[in-house]
Amino acid sequence: MKAYMYSILNKQHSTLNYAMMYRLAFVAFLLIIVIQEVVAQDVKGIRIHGFLSQGYLKSTGNNDVFGNSSGSGSFDFRELGVNASYRPLPNLQFSGQLLSRSAGEDSKGGIRVDYGFVDYTAISTESMDFGIRLGRTKNPLGFYNDTRDVPFTRPSILLPQSIYFDRTRNLGLASDGAQVYGESRNSWGDLNAQFGVVFPQAGDRSTELAILQGDRSGNITPHLSYIGRLIYEYDGGRVRLAVSGAQVNTGYDAAQRDPFSGLGTFQFTPIIFSAQYNTERWSLTSEYAIRHLERHDFGAVRNLNVTGESYYFQGIYRFSPSWEGVLRYDAYYVDRDDRDGKDFARGIPAGLQNYNPSHSRFAKDITVGLRWNVTPAFMLRAEYHYINGTGWVSPLDNRAPSEIRSALGRPFLTADTDQHWNLFAFQASYRF
Amino acid sequence: MVARNCFNYCYRFVSLFLFIFSISYFATHAYANDSVEAVIHPSVELKSYSRNSLRAVFGMRLKTWPNGMPVRVFVMPDDAALHTIFTKEKLNIFPYQLRAGWDKLIFSGTGQAPFLVRTEEEMRERISSTPGAIGYLKRANIDESIHVLNIE
Repeated sequence: MKAYMYSILNKQHSTLNYAMMYRLAFVAFLLIIVIQEVVAQDVKGIRIHGFLSQGYLKSTGNNDVFGNSSGSGSFDFRELGVNASYRPLPNLQFSGQLLSRSAGEDSKGGIRVDYGFVDYTAISTESMDFGIRLGRTKNPLGFYNDTRDVPFTRPSILLPQSIYFDRTRNLGLASDGAQVYGESRNSWGDLNAQFGVVFPQAGDRSTELAILQGDRSGNITPHLSYIGRLIYEYDGGRVRLAVSGAQVNTGYDAAQRDPFSGLGTFQFTPIIFSAQYNTERWSLTSEYAIRHLERHDFGAVRNLNVTGESYYFQGIYRFSPSWEGVLRYDAYYVDRDDRDGKDFARGIPAGLQNYNPSHSRFAKDITVGLRWNVTPAFMLRAEYHYINGTGWVSPLDNRAPSEIRSALGRPFLTADTDQHWNLFAFQASYRF
Repeated sequence: MVARNCFNYCYRFVSLFLFIFSISYFATHAYANDSVEAVIHPSVELKSYSRNSLRAVFGMRLKTWPNGMPVRVFVMPDDAALHTIFTKEKLNIFPYQLRAGWDKLIFSGTGQAPFLVRTEEEMRERISSTPGAIGYLKRANIDESIHVLNIE
């Protein structure tokens, strides 16, 4: 019964509601722009902001990113968000954001509550703040995770996928619970800390696929998790250093006669080190992440204990306030003890090796991009990626042809992808 | 003949001196009128503030004044010349850094955006009529309805 309902929900999500919800969201967005124009700048009232973006992606080979990008190119990449905040007292704020993201099979454009919480600043002086947030808050990870779906806040159209991977994104987005925060402002620099005791978002298909290698009859459930970040900023942000980490825990709600056990647990423990140096023309950024994954006691799928590693180096150069270029080298390894994926490939049965190649265990991406702020509210972007490996490519966007999948009895078998490939992306974004 | 030459020489020297003096005087004077200052509504009751605190105020992270009054920040668009001059000369940071900080607050719900004004006239009006307000103006456009906030 439960499995049946789950498949119904999935089906509706992917066909009927998808187009309708997008249209609804678009109408709502236009309405809110009109409202914003009418109530804009109300000192005491509700503050409304939002954004809208449309992308185009074209990739070479057989590798698809955010839709069918390897064919004639994909216009499937759209982001749309509206937020409101209300501050009845200087130390009390209510905030919420609705978001719709279309990006191939992983994000089908449904409207979700991106965040929604109440923020109370218990102590506030000239040199420090301390407070608490209750509700759904964005996960404070690295420099970019808090606003990862807002095009204007990203250094490029695609965030460095090694750390901010979009193939299994929901666990990393936001979580429900309590977060305490503090800021200390000093002549030697500012310290900003956040720590949350939360439940992650885990009920989606790509998370289940990543954890259990398929769409199972039960459901992945969130367990109590921990997340935190400490940022040090020197001289108004000329130097920024951060360390962030999380321990994300999930369990499994087994269905009747489920081969997967309800005792199964999955733990994801990323630690990210971040550094940035800012001048008038340059912003140099680097982040390094080490990720530990552990999967136990699911029965039908073997235990897993693997440590992945990621890092990137990125330079942004501002030719003028409205034009900037970005250059980045980004590396991702699923297993730091098997960087070239050879050990992994040896363990794959004959006949399936094309679908589980060694190059699916890493990705090295060289990115060159250009950003044009046509106005402060309208931005155009273009970028090119040369990529070796398919480590962060979405398995849902790259499934093998259905006749092969059914012949082999593997509904989520990944397509025969190319190791060396190119990706072009264009994006137009508007904000208010 | 010699005296006349000498007079001529002195005359040229003095006029050159006067010319240079007047140019530098007007340049300084013009610069003083063109220079940008942080300005506040009189209710804020502050004469001066540290640069770090002023950065936190314009960064929308410091939300109350020492006297308890809520901070209301007014800025011009990111690409306005005065916004760039103020950010660079008074806060010693760059407009893109302010923008990145604001966007993080606006789009993660952890803060609010500053109020946007289009012209200096609008800036002066909004600040003089909003208790707790802070913004910036060219010295020439500052009148007695608002106060200058000096940086320590």
